[in-house]
Amino acid sequence: MKENMTSKERVMNALNGLPVDRTPVSNPTSVATVELMDLVGAPFPDACRNPELNAQLAATGYTELGFDSIAPYFTIIQESSALGCEMQWEQKDNWPTVRMSNPIWKSINDIKIPPNFLEHPDNLAIINSIKILKKEYGNDVAIIGKTMGPWTLAYHVFGVEPFLLLSIDDPKMTMDCLKKLKEISNLFGQAQIDAGADVLTYPDHATGDLVSGEYYKKFLLEIHQETAEELNVPLILHICGQTLDRLDYISQNNMAAFHFDSRNDPAEAMKIANNRIRLVGNINNPVTLYSKNTEDVKLEVEKCLEAGVQLIAPECAIPLATKLENLLEIPKTVKEWTKKQNGN
Amino acid sequence: MPIVNEGVLEEMKHIANPSELKHIQEIYEKTDPLMQEIAYALITGNDKKVDELTKNSLDNGYSANTIMDDGLIAGMAIVGIKFRDNIIFVPEVLISARAMKAGMAHIEPILSESDIPPVGTVIMGTVKGDLHDIGKNLCIMMLRGAGFIVHDLGVDVKDIEFIDAVQEHNAKIIGMSALLTTTMPNMGRVIEAFEDEGLREEVNIMVGGAPVTQEFADDMGADAYGKDAIDCVELAKQLASK
Repeated sequence: MKENMTSKERVMNALNGLPVDRTPVSNPTSVATVELMDLVGAPFPDACRNPELNAQLAATGYTELGFDSIAPYFTIIQESSALGCEMQWEQKDNWPTVRMSNPIWKSINDIKIPPNFLEHPDNLAIINSIKILKKEYGNDVAIIGKTMGPWTLAYHVFGVEPFLLLSIDDPKMTMDCLKKLKEISNLFGQAQIDAGADVLTYPDHATGDLVSGEYYKKFLLEIHQETAEELNVPLILHICGQTLDRLDYISQNNMAAFHFDSRNDPAEAMKIANNRIRLVGNINNPVTLYSKNTEDVKLEVEKCLEAGVQLIAPECAIPLATKLENLLEIPKTVKEWTKKQNGN
Repeated sequence: MPIVNEGVLEEMKHIANPSELKHIQEIYEKTDPLMQEIAYALITGNDKKVDELTKNSLDNGYSANTIMDDGLIAGMAIVGIKFRDNIIFVPEVLISARAMKAGMAHIEPILSESDIPPVGTVIMGTVKGDLHDIGKNLCIMMLRGAGFIVHDLGVDVKDIEFIDAVQEHNAKIIGMSALLTTTMPNMGRVIEAFEDEGLREEVNIMVGGAPVTQEFADDMGADAYGKDAIDCVELAKQLASK
């Protein structure tokens, strides 16, 4: 093993189950904050829609925070915008969101990929940002793209309630919809790989807050296994909320890693994953990073390290008003902990 | 009266807490077989059956209130417990809520013409800047399932819309939801708006949503915090009886 790895080597090795000089600090989801937006003059929503601004803001995850990866896709709505969903882009201090109460599609027959899907400005913003970041940082830092899985896309295009009702009323139709939506996930994912993404985050929110663990097995396991074969970079599945009841199934999806929420105990999660999938996480956002202090962050990071979590990260996209000192504490603690473990 | 519906008896096996089981058994022991059949159809999300049974019951002289209390609300009580205990999840609750709606379509016109007061009136909404509504909608389903009248203001609701709705419907309870850390503080701004209008003492404000905590709710001066839809109903009952 190399003694001093680059950030990129560290992340890629950890995702591939290879030795690392220290546990990488990663951001499969956004670490953008208002403070960072002000620092580089790249505010929301423009930073989500303009590739240059997007790259400037994304780079701060590495240049300012010292994380080992750069993730330019801050939201979960870019491809839904390209599909024609109604959007609320909001201002600097709030997240853009899809108006899911006004869904664009009602049935499987409506699922159509627009011919210019990848050329839509909101998709191009990410694709071109990855190209910029790859050129600037590609040798040293892992560039993490992101493509929404079919379950999350279904919430956006069909609406959450209609889609969940469909899953009970017509499971076969639900599966058929997911298979068609998967084509959209793969198309956007592959475009980001072609642009230079080393890794893809794959959010697919079949969360314990909404559906059972059996739902994951019934509707998504096979689709995720296929996706893991089709997209030829390490994939990080991201599901918020409680997921321990489905982690055994998730561990069989052949993806490189699972990005998990702080509501799941890291040691218990590691035990269930049992080296079948790497874990990324799971520092609490709304309480610890948003409203507590560096000492609390340190304790949570250490808890993850002691449990053996392979990549340390906030549990999900961080609150936009998160204090930088709390974010800086994550890599600081990882480095100090590693030194201590090595007896230095 | 013994509980005769096999389905209901089977569903009761899901209730682990002995005192809760006793309470539910007591409710069902007061109901007759037809009402138990409605309750079971609701629990299993069979909206067509609930529709048909509700209509038949009314035709056969059952009062709207009896059908609502002994059939629909009794059924929703078991749905709520199963949901809280992770025996069922949101899709299963949604089909039960749909079945409830099918029954209420026959009941509501009759109740609205009667003088029977509701358990309480609640104004619900997701705060400004936030478009997430599944948690709020679950709360609304459960509140309606417990006999409350709920006015749903939807998502992205401004301070003034909460204030107007309270005045229009003479509601004493507000429920606010937020899923984003960026929009959570807007709940506090709604509370401030009620203070500024001199209406804070007139209403009880409950809050919830994935990132919201008891501490956060206390800090912004909410009257109650609920971690899920079941909590929301319990809190609303407490606030309604204040």
